Amino acid sequence: MTALARSATAHLWTGMLMVAVLLVWVALPWFLSRSAIDILVFTGIYTIAGLGVSFLLGQCGIVSLAQSGFYGIGAYATAYGTTVLGLPIPVCIVLGMLVSAVIAAAVGVPVLRLSGHFLALATLALAIIAHVLFLELEWITGGTLGIGGIPRISLFGFTFATPFRFYYLVWPSAFALLLAYSLLLRSRTGIALRAMRDAPAAAAVAGIPIASLKVRIFVLSAAVGAFAGSLFAHYVSFISVDSFAIDRAIGFLLIAVLGGVRSIPGTIAGALFVTAAPNYLSRLGDIHPLLFALALIVAVIFLPGGFGGFMANLGAKLSSGGRRPSAPAGG
Amino acid sequence: MSALLEVREVSHRFGGLHVLKGVSFTVEAGSVTGLIGPNGAGKSTLFNIISGFLTPSVGRIVLLGEDATRLGIQHRSRMGLQRTFQTPQVFRDLTVRENLVAGCHRHGRTGVLEAFLGLPQVRREMRDAAIVADAAIERFDLGPYRDVPAGELPAGRQRMVELARAVVAEPKLLCLDEPSSGLSTAEVQILMQVLRRLNEEGMTILLVSHDMELMEITSKMHALCFGEIIASGSLDAMRASPRVREAYLGT
Amino acid sequence: MTFTLLIQSILAGLTNGFVYGLIGLGIAVAFRGARIINAMQGDVALIGAVMAYSASVSFGLPMPVGFVIGVVAGGLTGFLVDRLMIRPTLKRRGSEDSLLLVTLGGAFAVSAAVLLYFGRDSYPIPGIGGNDIVDVFDASMRVHAIWLIVISLAVVAALRWFYAKTLVGQALLAASIDPEGALTLGINVGRMRALTFGLGGLVGGLAGVLVAPLINIQYEMGLLLTLKGFAAAILGGLSSPFGAIFGGVLLGLVESLAVVTISSGYKDVVSMTLLIAIMIVLPQGLFGRRGRLGG
Ligand SMILES: Nc1ncnc2c1ncn2[C@@H]1O[C@H](COP(=O)(O)OP(=O)(O)OP(=O)(O)O)[C@@H](O)[C@H]1O
Ligand SMILES: [Mg+2]
Repeated sequence: MTALARSATAHLWTGMLMVAVLLVWVALPWFLSRSAIDILVFTGIYTIAGLGVSFLLGQCGIVSLAQSGFYGIGAYATAYGTTVLGLPIPVCIVLGMLVSAVIAAAVGVPVLRLSGHFLALATLALAIIAHVLFLELEWITGGTLGIGGIPRISLFGFTFATPFRFYYLVWPSAFALLLAYSLLLRSRTGIALRAMRDAPAAAAVAGIPIASLKVRIFVLSAAVGAFAGSLFAHYVSFISVDSFAIDRAIGFLLIAVLGGVRSIPGTIAGALFVTAAPNYLSRLGDIHPLLFALALIVAVIFLPGGFGGFMANLGAKLSSGGRRPSAPAGG
Repeated sequence: MSALLEVREVSHRFGGLHVLKGVSFTVEAGSVTGLIGPNGAGKSTLFNIISGFLTPSVGRIVLLGEDATRLGIQHRSRMGLQRTFQTPQVFRDLTVRENLVAGCHRHGRTGVLEAFLGLPQVRREMRDAAIVADAAIERFDLGPYRDVPAGELPAGRQRMVELARAVVAEPKLLCLDEPSSGLSTAEVQILMQVLRRLNEEGMTILLVSHDMELMEITSKMHALCFGEIIASGSLDAMRASPRVREAYLGT
Repeated sequence: MTFTLLIQSILAGLTNGFVYGLIGLGIAVAFRGARIINAMQGDVALIGAVMAYSASVSFGLPMPVGFVIGVVAGGLTGFLVDRLMIRPTLKRRGSEDSLLLVTLGGAFAVSAAVLLYFGRDSYPIPGIGGNDIVDVFDASMRVHAIWLIVISLAVVAALRWFYAKTLVGQALLAASIDPEGALTLGINVGRMRALTFGLGGLVGGLAGVLVAPLINIQYEMGLLLTLKGFAAAILGGLSSPFGAIFGGVLLGLVESLAVVTISSGYKDVVSMTLLIAIMIVLPQGLFGRRGRLGG
């Protein structure tokens, strides 16, 4: 009974915390400058793209540097579809996700047979291929000139034209995807993923289809990355190949590592760092790439759980009041 | 009784090393079949071939009347084959309960997209798996460890988790590689009881061990030595066989 | 395609191939001695090139001195990579992935640092024999490129001798194949790893100073060099010095043939696709055997 009561109060507290977070989230843009809201919008876009990378790395042990490519596919698909073909925006966004998913499946089937170093370097090679193609396929991408005049998203006559308005589009999307990824993680599929990460041989015996699950998660991550890319294109309304270079791939990876690959909400923290840091450092010149690289090194060595893991540890320590969750005796 | 598993003339080499030399035997439905043999006899290699981790150089594996020699591990799992490993392979970061939920994987249908969209059947399957897992936790006496990561359990408990995980998959044929190694005498007694019960409920068991005591629960045994079956029969016949005694006690 | 064009592209492929081979050689040295893939190899070359440039062009030192400074800088970088990045990661029981992420981070850091100090321009650096050219069947080749090939082959020979005949070389191999056994023999495994990375760094620095006169130094060049060098090293079996050079030449030739038959814009698409294909189809290299299965 006491345990039940305790869990009920715990639920109450988390519920109240959620409401508080929600209120702060709704109110935030009213108190911030335009440039600060702009940073938060980018944080939202990067959270979405970073989620895919983080989940792949944390739950499947796949280091993916290819996300910049899928992000680019989403952006170009919607830019080309709306400006050249004149298709409706939602159709273009879905199209971008589909194209991304199909390419991810075609590439993923052979490439995901690799593991460890080979896999990571293969995804890096994919990112480079994507970048070169974005540059060379000028008739779609506009090459270095890029594509301009990408229309703003509007819903029921409401146009998401300013950072202030876009904030209320990108964050509900990001929250929905955070929730979806958490659901996935807690489902039997999520358990299967963690199982195959821990002991692939035993997972195979349990009937978990390892190879095809990896491809599916990769495809999902690519589609989510393309969605983020589409949002980006509609937000900035001009895109060029510079937005989809290797440093973008590094940025997404850094989001995952900093946020903590086992922590889904941690991604937001990682994304906030990656968007805010360059902004405040820009007066020092091109210093943020160096900062990102050093942050990646330091985080991998000293903070393997990322911000998310760090907070979870801290939370566990505080709530147990020094008591360690011990294994029961006997047996 | 019909044969659930037939091993037909299986030979295997690792490079120049001839580990199995034309091994044949059958496992009858409903039996507890034992496979004994000294270290390096090729027992684990045979298990890897039966469960699909290795393809034999020569010979065939027939599972439930179907040629399974080239079928994948997961395919054999879906056909009703489960195995454990000589060094227990638990999902270390998963709690005991989650280990068993993972063991139920082959009963479910939902995939990545359904889970991502949070469809109701995902939750239903999860609930069903949890019920099965909790029953197994009860049965295998793992209650105190339910929410403990399996990697933190003592070796004997890890073996139980592995066994329970195989059992919740409801196999027709359960293959156990040295299930008693690392267990205390008391734990071995419990293990034997559990295995007897499972067999009474209709599960066919193939047991590899060099522990003669454990072999008391078998109805038929084969002795493997340097990749060949040197004797077959009941436990008593084995104990009496001079070749087995030589292979075992002579070394 | 004319005959001259063909010869020209073969010569270009050969030259590039030796560059990839030299990078691959450095990767092979680190892998052979530490079982770690150093994703910084191309950026170590970048450091070598930048140092040689600064010494000779900015500070006006004689060219050979600049070269030596570049090579030594590469070696020093390799040593520091081990001490500042590899060792702390291993001490915290980092996984294979962590090691790769750390060296990748190092690669990005070098490139970003060069960007910060040198900007986005590319820098020319004079080669051995200046800009002199020799004619080969109507096609032409830089004298420097010939030196690059000769020096690469000399380095391979030197490395072979080092591993086979010197005590340190053998200790290096022992430490990587069986660290615990080596420990009982009194071999300091940590020091051996530092030495290995230093050696790989020297090779990387050499690659940098040799390649710089041919391609102009640019902050982004490291990553592509690493990947192509990696492809070369895998083709050669990942731990064989000679194999890496061989793989590099093969890659360089295929790449330059692709340039003349397809388009120069797609050169990196071809080589990156090749890299992926090699990893999938030929993970043991051209001469390697298949690994053991099961367990
Ligand atoms: N992957 C492999 N590659 C090469 N040789 C192997 C491999 N696996 C096993 N062996 C060899 O095959 C022989 C049989 O091994 P196996 O593990 O099947 O024996 P076992 O009967 O299970 O012995 P134990 O009682 O020690 O478990 C041994 O000599 C072993 O060294
Ligand atoms: Mg064995």
